Amino acid sequence: MKTKRLLLFFLLTLGAIILSACSGQPLANNWPGLAADAERAYISSGSFIYAVDVQNGKEVWKYPAEANNKTLFYANPVLTEDGQLLIGSAGSEHPFISLNPETGRENWTESFTGAKGAWMASPLVLNETIYAPNTDGFLYILDLNGKQAADPIQLGGALWAKPSTDGTLLYVNSLDHHLHVIDPALGKTIETIDLGGAAPGSPAVGADGVYIGSFASTVEFVQPNGQHESIATAKNWIWGTPSLDGETLYYADLDGVVYSLDLASGRQNWDGLQPDGPVVASLLVVGDQIYVATESGSFFALDRDGKIVWEKTPGGKIYTSPVISGDLILVAPYQADFALAAFDAEGKQAWTFAPEK
Amino acid sequence: MWQTIIIQPMTNLLLWIYDVLGHGPHMFGLAIILFTILIKLLTWPLNASQVKGAQAMQELQNDKEWIEIQKKYAKDREKLAQEQMRIYKDRGINPFASCLPTLVQFPIIIGLYQSITRALSATPFDMLQLARTVYPFQNVENIIPLNSTFLWMDLGRPESIQILGYGLPTLAIIVALTTWVQSKLTMPASSNPNDQSAQMTKMMSIYMPLMLGWFALNFASGISVYFIISNLLGVVQYAATGRANWSNLFGGNKTTPAKK
Repeated sequence: MKTKRLLLFFLLTLGAIILSACSGQPLANNWPGLAADAERAYISSGSFIYAVDVQNGKEVWKYPAEANNKTLFYANPVLTEDGQLLIGSAGSEHPFISLNPETGRENWTESFTGAKGAWMASPLVLNETIYAPNTDGFLYILDLNGKQAADPIQLGGALWAKPSTDGTLLYVNSLDHHLHVIDPALGKTIETIDLGGAAPGSPAVGADGVYIGSFASTVEFVQPNGQHESIATAKNWIWGTPSLDGETLYYADLDGVVYSLDLASGRQNWDGLQPDGPVVASLLVVGDQIYVATESGSFFALDRDGKIVWEKTPGGKIYTSPVISGDLILVAPYQADFALAAFDAEGKQAWTFAPEK
Repeated sequence: MWQTIIIQPMTNLLLWIYDVLGHGPHMFGLAIILFTILIKLLTWPLNASQVKGAQAMQELQNDKEWIEIQKKYAKDREKLAQEQMRIYKDRGINPFASCLPTLVQFPIIIGLYQSITRALSATPFDMLQLARTVYPFQNVENIIPLNSTFLWMDLGRPESIQILGYGLPTLAIIVALTTWVQSKLTMPASSNPNDQSAQMTKMMSIYMPLMLGWFALNFASGISVYFIISNLLGVVQYAATGRANWSNLFGGNKTTPAKK
């Protein structure tokens, strides 16, 4: 009887352990967020946000001092003109915080805790007002001290993308397939456009409207008055923000195809350019080069004719959009031996950064 | 392998049901309920054999010959095992028949939990994994992101109702209660004080509600919906076969005399 009791206890415990293993890791799991200024790079990678000196790849600070798996950071941190670093938690607790970029200390005496959902998106700062999209479907409007400045605007589906602005209007896409044109002066949505699929990437702002890719595998051009048209297609889902450079729009899809669309003619500048692996990250255009990071862990520099100038394999999987800091291009791989790598325009690796374990 | 055999088919089935239902608010909860019914129908023969196996084992505990060999070979475990196997063979009883369906439930529960969390895609990384999971025939562009709202719940998160500032875990309580009711109804009556099977079942009726209630407290409420519907269907199945022991619920323990 004792043996059977032990066996029963063992089986139940085993079941509990197996099921617990399903959620043994933090509730939310995602690739890191990345931002940079001329001096530091800021990586949000789970429990911590790290500031890294871009001159040498050394850690300047990390926040918080001790890990708390209820607060997790994955959005790209946002630097403001008045010297704040803004980010919200995507964990089971979701404060929206402001840090001092130089020290990593909290700026606000109280973080904003009014949102019901996780913060997967970066906020936008316009005219000293913070517009912070949350997965609860609300766009929260805060002042630069973290106090609610106006009633939040309900947009419907979860908000994963940083809002874009032309300086007057806001363009916010919700995962429920819609792009919302918001007039911040009125504090309300003035146009809502059905994109035909979820759009996790932000819109790219052009002179007459915005360009946005979606899971409908199309690129839509949307004007402030709500008029819109599909201007290009892709072979698979478009995840990242299209990169607008003059009259050329660069974008990529989950099949790993990289596109260069001539907006004047509506024609593709090249065909069938598929360097290596699915592309989730936004493309980065700097000077005469287009930088492409792939899920396969490769990092490419293309010229404007679509020719590969150089290729590096930092490792891991790259979903985070690369950013520029001074003369360096920063790449944050996921599930790699290091959290950040810096390359110069010739593809020479300057340094890597791995947080202390 | 786990991904291909369990997660992928389950996730696709859930998404397909959700799509057929019109992928609006509350529909994912309804999809989980329909999915549970489907799983119960598919495992109906297994559950029936569990009931039958448990009943046979129970009857054996009260059998005169069985009791006699327990006494006779109490100090000779090898001989006792041989005699037990002989009786199993003579009576056509499979001693493991009552365990198998329970074991089959585990991969289903684990797979369902992973399918629900994957389908609901709380993060971009989850969404990317979902994109790799769906079969080509699915109209996935139209149906994602899934609407996780069901009644008052967010199916991707543990449930609680705020009462006077405290979160009351309603679903966890219902899960524990329905699990207890099901185990009580399926617990056969026994008059044999040394009936090991009955003691095991009694222990299960204490441990299982606590364990599943704990799961419901800590895991996505979608899995709690599965537990509740599964428990209720279990009760229906027992009742339909006429084997439900209602006396265990409402007092007045019905006893079965030992067979001669």
